[in-house]
Amino acid sequence: MKRKLTAAFLLALFLLVGAEVVVRVFFARNMAGRFDYGYHPDAGFVEDGDKLKLVRAGGRRFFPQEMSKQPAAGTFRIFVVGDSVPRGPGLEKAYAFQLQEMLKAQGIKAEAFNLCVPGYGAQRKQIVLTKALEYQPSLVILHLNASNEYEDEREFKRGKEFDGWHPKNWLMKSLVIRRLHEAKTEKAFWHLLPTEVRQQGAPNDADAEIAAGKNDDTRKRWLEQVRQWTATSVQTANSKGVPLLLVSQAVCENMKDRTKPLDDQGLAAVAESFKTEGVYHLSMKDVLTGGDYAALYSDGSHMRPDGHKAVAEALARFMTTNGVVKSRH
Amino acid sequence: MSFISWQYALFLMAVFAVYWGVPHRGRLLLLLVSSYFFYGVWDVRFLALLATSTVIDYLCGQAIAGIRVSTGKVLALACTPLAWLGICAVTGVDGKIVKPSMLIMAGCLPVILLALYGGLWSLPEARRPKAFMLLSIGLNLGQLMFFKYFNFFADSAAHLLQTFGMNPNWTLLSIILPVGISFYTFQSIAYAVDIYRKKATPETDFLTFAAFLSFFPQLVAGPIERAKDLLTQFQKPAVWSDENFHRGLRLILIGLFKKVFVGDNCALLATYAFAKDTQLNAGWAVLGALAFAFQIYGDFSGYTDIARGSARLLGIQLNHNFHHPYFATGPSDFWQRWHITLSAWFRDYVYIPLGGNRQGNLITTRNLLLTMALAGLWHGAAWTFVIWGLYHGLLLVIYRSVPPLEKLELAQTGARKVLAILLMSVFTLIGWVIFRASSMEQVGQWFAALTMWHGTGVDWVKPFGWLALHAIPLILLQWATMKARDEVEMGLWPWPVRAIVYGVMFLAIATSSAGEQEFIYFQF
Repeated sequence: MKRKLTAAFLLALFLLVGAEVVVRVFFARNMAGRFDYGYHPDAGFVEDGDKLKLVRAGGRRFFPQEMSKQPAAGTFRIFVVGDSVPRGPGLEKAYAFQLQEMLKAQGIKAEAFNLCVPGYGAQRKQIVLTKALEYQPSLVILHLNASNEYEDEREFKRGKEFDGWHPKNWLMKSLVIRRLHEAKTEKAFWHLLPTEVRQQGAPNDADAEIAAGKNDDTRKRWLEQVRQWTATSVQTANSKGVPLLLVSQAVCENMKDRTKPLDDQGLAAVAESFKTEGVYHLSMKDVLTGGDYAALYSDGSHMRPDGHKAVAEALARFMTTNGVVKSRH
Repeated sequence: MSFISWQYALFLMAVFAVYWGVPHRGRLLLLLVSSYFFYGVWDVRFLALLATSTVIDYLCGQAIAGIRVSTGKVLALACTPLAWLGICAVTGVDGKIVKPSMLIMAGCLPVILLALYGGLWSLPEARRPKAFMLLSIGLNLGQLMFFKYFNFFADSAAHLLQTFGMNPNWTLLSIILPVGISFYTFQSIAYAVDIYRKKATPETDFLTFAAFLSFFPQLVAGPIERAKDLLTQFQKPAVWSDENFHRGLRLILIGLFKKVFVGDNCALLATYAFAKDTQLNAGWAVLGALAFAFQIYGDFSGYTDIARGSARLLGIQLNHNFHHPYFATGPSDFWQRWHITLSAWFRDYVYIPLGGNRQGNLITTRNLLLTMALAGLWHGAAWTFVIWGLYHGLLLVIYRSVPPLEKLELAQTGARKVLAILLMSVFTLIGWVIFRASSMEQVGQWFAALTMWHGTGVDWVKPFGWLALHAIPLILLQWATMKARDEVEMGLWPWPVRAIVYGVMFLAIATSSAGEQEFIYFQF
């Protein structure tokens, strides 16, 4: 047997196995949930002593932030969970931070954290919310949107691509190989090949999403998914006794036609249906209608810093007038 | 069963494990059963065709050498295809439909074969060997012509008649091309002719012969082996050697690297460049031709390496099929480096019988053009393949006729050699455009696109990066093994270097982001 295995083969094997061991031992944190594409329960939440760090990991591109695992006594801790809209153009420009500053200006000892990740639909928001509840928030603001269900489905399939112990998946059980495969796909395949080449015989991903978004049945299905996952989120927050404030997204479909009303895409009705003790609803449409709302949007969905400021002001007002802040003190 | 599938990996491991644990006859039986299983995975019905070729050549091979098989045995063997199709029809194996016409054809075989076999034995002894050789060639080519070329010729004839104002309204048949038929048919013909020429002796043991003709590593896409090389290895027990084991694994690794990493990834570019609705610009025209050159080389040479490696694991050596073909200095050199076993086949069984180069320039030119046109047609039933063959025939003629080119091809070193390689590379690329195009109209569009450097169209600069990413490692590997003329000779490198190359190759294969592509030569 000794002669059958050459030194070159053994060294190659050693290098490959060694790389795998190094990755699994020394890069465990970076790799945790790496291939779950946002469906890992803990990815992005890193505990370090009595600190909690929000990091970019496991398909969660959180703004890097740090907090104590438990809020200091008397501190009103707010988590904003959502997608690219509440995430904002920058940590300090997003409504989470602006809300924190406004509450502080009112003498309220508050801290707000931005737990929003671009492209997250209702299901992945629910996973983030479940984990966030472990860190004793006084309030969770859940930003509802129905435009990311396509991504949720796609990333779910992507995460499951090499699941199971079918022989065709064996090599992808290696973190090194999977990571290199992912890197090649994302860095070389996506960057060097034009869309027309990548999508030969298959619909362009962006086109497929647009086409799906224009289909009424698909939109209804997505809204129903949002409703179901939001129901789960409400139930989860209730079980922990944490108040939940649902912010329903409004889109400005035609930025040039300022007479056209904002569209909440049925999300306000969904949010209203959950209103009960400890579950609140703030409609972006109600907040922004009346003013020059088109000027607050950078595109049909995303807001400029002024838009975030308008939402933060509305939230601060809503929280104090509805006793959300007071009720916790 | 594709060589790059996990099923093949398990299949090969299982065959390997059993093979070395059983005696010689057991190994032959194992090879026969596993080869038929391997082939049957594509379409069980076509095992009847393989069996037909086997029976015909087994009987004809012996008859050419003057060995007569009893009528009972002839009948029993000739009934094998019918029996197999009958089993498929009754059991509905694999959900494939066995049409009545298939059963009728298989049913005719025993009758025809018995009649011809008996009839030819009644010929004078001196005429008998040639008659049996022609019978073998005729029946094998008949199968090939029907399954591969019937519709092509019928369609071409219809077009020709239409140009004369006639309107033939015959309908084309729905014929499925059996995988690898061109390869095993040519191997069968070579067997019969070699016995006739006394370059091989006929095999009297049916098991040995059937195992030889259906040997799974080279059954569907070659190398096209001769009896003196391959059959002789089946006649004696294979002996285990560590060297074979190591070389086998190394060949499989190199083959997978060429196919999965180089070929399949370059295929993404080539497929786009040669798609019907692609708006070609000059960049994409050049990129498409280059990408296809690396795709077809990676694909076919990779297949061959896996075939050679698989056979080596079983203690059997297959012939080389490629010797760094893109380093050829001229067309003659190219055909001694590209698909060598096919080139040698056409040289030995077509070009030389036509007279080769011994009857003056005019006849030599005719022989070259005819041989290369047939070689082109062998690749597929389309005029683009014939024109590709003629194009290479013309290159051979031009290089023979123009002394500076003839001298350039013979350049061994220095700038002249580099110039020769570059010139031949350009000719090869143009050839690949003809080969890959779906019509001559598309070839024309490709040439027209070469002038559109400033036109619109999809960006081609970044995709060149993709091509370089996948082609340069192969070029480096070839360059490093240039002297040895075979990549597997990297076994001579220092072992730490080899270890790193193995590791990198393995990772390149495992992380390839192109989807699995069918082997190009399976369709031939």
